[in-house]
Amino acid sequence: MDNIKLNKEEVLRQIQILAARGLVSKEEVLSAYEAGTNTAEDDAVTPQTGISHILYYFGGAIVFLGIVVLIGQRWNTLNNFTKIFATLGSGIAAYLTGVLLGSQERFEKVSMVFHFISALVLPMGLYVTFDTAGLEVNTSGLQSLIFAILTVTYLLSFWLYRKTLFIFFCIIAGTSLFFTFMDYLIIDHSSFDWEFTAYRVLSIGLSYGILGYYFSTTRYRALTGFLLGFGVLYFLGAALALGDWKPHQNVFWELIYPGLVFGILFLSVYLKSKSFLTFGSIYLVAYISKITVEYFENSLGWPLSLVLIGFLLIAIGYMHFYLKKKYLT
Amino acid sequence: MARPSPNISLIIGLAIPFLMIILVALSIYVPAIFSPQPQYNFLYVTGDDYWNGRQYVVQSGKLIEREIVYRDNYIPQVARIFIHNVAANENQEISFEDAQKLFLNPNSKSPDGWEVVSGGDSGGFFLFSYSSGDYNSMYLQGHNTSKKLNLQQDSSHYRAHFLGWING
Repeated sequence: MDNIKLNKEEVLRQIQILAARGLVSKEEVLSAYEAGTNTAEDDAVTPQTGISHILYYFGGAIVFLGIVVLIGQRWNTLNNFTKIFATLGSGIAAYLTGVLLGSQERFEKVSMVFHFISALVLPMGLYVTFDTAGLEVNTSGLQSLIFAILTVTYLLSFWLYRKTLFIFFCIIAGTSLFFTFMDYLIIDHSSFDWEFTAYRVLSIGLSYGILGYYFSTTRYRALTGFLLGFGVLYFLGAALALGDWKPHQNVFWELIYPGLVFGILFLSVYLKSKSFLTFGSIYLVAYISKITVEYFENSLGWPLSLVLIGFLLIAIGYMHFYLKKKYLT
Repeated sequence: MARPSPNISLIIGLAIPFLMIILVALSIYVPAIFSPQPQYNFLYVTGDDYWNGRQYVVQSGKLIEREIVYRDNYIPQVARIFIHNVAANENQEISFEDAQKLFLNPNSKSPDGWEVVSGGDSGGFFLFSYSSGDYNSMYLQGHNTSKKLNLQQDSSHYRAHFLGWING
């Protein structure tokens, strides 16, 4: 509360002093300003508005399901134009409605719901359009094309309208493009197994984590929770999978894994990220359980292994509670 | 502790997937450029039902036909024999009599280091699915690269069966 009482002139004077001593950079001041500009909007969610937001999106999901059921039931009786009109046309219409409503601040949330509907319907619309055109849509090449179109669409939408939602859709479409295009590259080659997919998930997790950090410094920091949460989920999940299981275990990943988990737990304090702390703790439990069962079940016996895992769970649970209370609240 | 510049983190975060794609593309196409062209064609058979024992096998470098006793009312598929031209990735069907005249090397690996392998397992779900090649396809693998083979498929679920490399 003391910081709030500082008047503006005092704060600016302090910044001048720090800048003169080289203790603060222009970027740091600007990023602090940008991080503060969206506070009112983000904190304005009350229980009442929260329920109405949920109803908006629930309604959007029902609209999407209605379109899917309508098309599915009448697929054989619809002509090609109607198929495309009902799917791609609906998606484009929902997108344009979202853009029009988004131009007025009071309809901002409703416009996001229309963009949500368009994001669900547009991939289906492109799929139906290419299928109607006689192209083989189940190939990784054409799926890459569909996700490339969506990625570019949402990138241009963000460039035009500067809405956080478009970055979110762009990340989803871009991630899908990454996986399908990789499939396209390797489809004619035999030497890529499940480990390759684990490395793909690992790299996406790392990318999400770094982008989550970046967005935490901008006014689009609403994306930070999603990116850090899924980033650590993918990264630690893939690293754990790469350790594999005896007798096919990968010693490198099994040895390096505790370092990765404790690194994530350290970063949870540094970034003040609850998702890093929660997933770091869950994966630490998973790793200890895996290693105990994999290597010590025969020597310690199953009951003693369970006792050991139980005590370790209690210790990790307490560590999670302690770190959250001391550093994240 | 000084935080890294946000713009650097944006560049690194976006660069990781692109670098991954570039590395994978390089790992596929660079070995393919520098690998030697396969020199040996091979013989294979389709429709040879292995549940009742192989009808065609290679012994002492020659293809032989075995008498298979099938259970009552079982109608086996007609086995067809092909030469696969590895340079053109094309197939030519030949008769058993003509195939008998060839000298075959039944080792899985050819004298110039290539091997005919099947597409491996697959699993996962949606975007996280994996597969070491198409299960129904076969590949020419060696020298850190692999190529999908355009083999003749029969109507059954049995894959083409490699018989041997043609040495002469």
